[in-house]
Amino acid sequence: MTSQRMPLPTAEPVSTLPLDEVAIMSFAGIWRSWGRGSRRRLVLRDVDLDLTPGTAVRVEGANGAGKTTLLRIGAGILRPDAGSVHLEGWSGEGNWREYHRRIGVLSAGDRGLYARFSVRGHLAYAARIAFLPRPVRKQAVEEALVRFDLQDLAKRRADRLSQGQRQRLRLALTVVHRPRVLLLDEPRNSLDAPGQAMLADAVADVLGDGGAVLWCSPAGEQQPVEFDRSYAIRDGALEPA
Amino acid sequence: MGLAGQYLGAVMATVRRDATIFVSYRLRVISQMAGMLLTMATFYYVAKLIRPGAVGPRDQYFAFAMLGILVTSILTSALTTAQIVRMELMAGNFERVLVSPMGPMWGVVAIAAFPVGYAIVFAAVMLAIASAVFGIPLHVGGLVPGLGVTLLGAASLASIGLLFVAGLLAFKSAMGATWVIAGLSLLGGAYFPVRLFPGWISWASEVQPFTPTVDLLRHLLVGTPAREAVWLELLKLAGFTAVLAPVAIAALVLAIRVSRRRGTILEY
Repeated sequence: MTSQRMPLPTAEPVSTLPLDEVAIMSFAGIWRSWGRGSRRRLVLRDVDLDLTPGTAVRVEGANGAGKTTLLRIGAGILRPDAGSVHLEGWSGEGNWREYHRRIGVLSAGDRGLYARFSVRGHLAYAARIAFLPRPVRKQAVEEALVRFDLQDLAKRRADRLSQGQRQRLRLALTVVHRPRVLLLDEPRNSLDAPGQAMLADAVADVLGDGGAVLWCSPAGEQQPVEFDRSYAIRDGALEPA
Repeated sequence: MGLAGQYLGAVMATVRRDATIFVSYRLRVISQMAGMLLTMATFYYVAKLIRPGAVGPRDQYFAFAMLGILVTSILTSALTTAQIVRMELMAGNFERVLVSPMGPMWGVVAIAAFPVGYAIVFAAVMLAIASAVFGIPLHVGGLVPGLGVTLLGAASLASIGLLFVAGLLAFKSAMGATWVIAGLSLLGGAYFPVRLFPGWISWASEVQPFTPTVDLLRHLLVGTPAREAVWLELLKLAGFTAVLAPVAIAALVLAIRVSRRRGTILEY
């Protein structure tokens, strides 16, 4: 990984899009480093990325390349050192609520579930903190249960689910509020073939509704989704794969 | 639904979640009640050694100490919020709140709601048991104003808990909660009247919310004479809450901003 210092941004970010396309979500001039002083390590270097309606974009890279960092910046978990992210005109810094209503985030791994809380309880809770209106909340939970084949597990506690079932629940939690943009970090984790098909269907639904998907995964993996564009992060820069 | 309703609904959903998880540990409530009953029995007999007039009319010490212990339990619950947030960070659960429209600041407030609310209900139940079993002379007329004072005091003590969460998010450490609980309950007169303190330390009883909370509750619920005019103690308690709550929220917002910039908000 490069130890190059971050220069001050000197130019307007260059869009990755043709001029006639409008992005739902834009990463503009993103710089991010970790550590301080001599241990400072540049992870993202002037990254521009536009997600247009109906497109799935894959970002790949070696372990530690900066995929998760990019995704976490998009999710509002991290602040970039420089640059900005906008989603349908909203920025996470300017309006947390409206920005986060529109995104669904799946982190890598299998964490983020309450061991002694039921599958349905998780989904109802996620729908509530996503501020889904009451008339659609119950329906959204039922749809998520059906989409990820969790109906028979609805009353089961999370600590009594298999790894694949846990991942299906995590995916259901990501989409239960019907986000416009999905930010997915290694979403295939532990999924069997039917689980991957459910994931592909969920992605297709978001794209069909004019949304967009940013999918991060290590280089070389076969994926269950066809991507409109693929990039790789190398030495902190985003390049066509 | 309005914006306030959405946030309130999200907080209530968090309370419901935490209550569901809490009751899944079936023996926890029984264990807590048994522990408190043993404490009650201990102080019931210790009270018989107290000389008349030390805290008011004869045989009032038991009621005096019980109110102090129950308010201490509310304080303890408020200050465990940082420990709960730490566990959420370690389990990866805080991320779900962080990437939701509710956001991390309201998420932390929501996490504090159940333990503090539960401590208030637990204290009320134990007070009723203390009255029925050990004969504490509860003033029925003081119950409603007592509830108001409890909520005001809990808001103030919960604000101290939120300051600890801010420290946890910013510095990845929430040390000192045990010291604060012991210090506030000692200086606030949980177990004996603060007038027994020497002059050089008695000022410390006046600059924190525990003292007016417990003093007002004793006065309203069991008739212990108030240290000062009730309106003055009420004003002090309201003042502490009015200062501590916005300071705690500001500290939390700052801690979230700093830890997002450092990239440590999900770490512990």
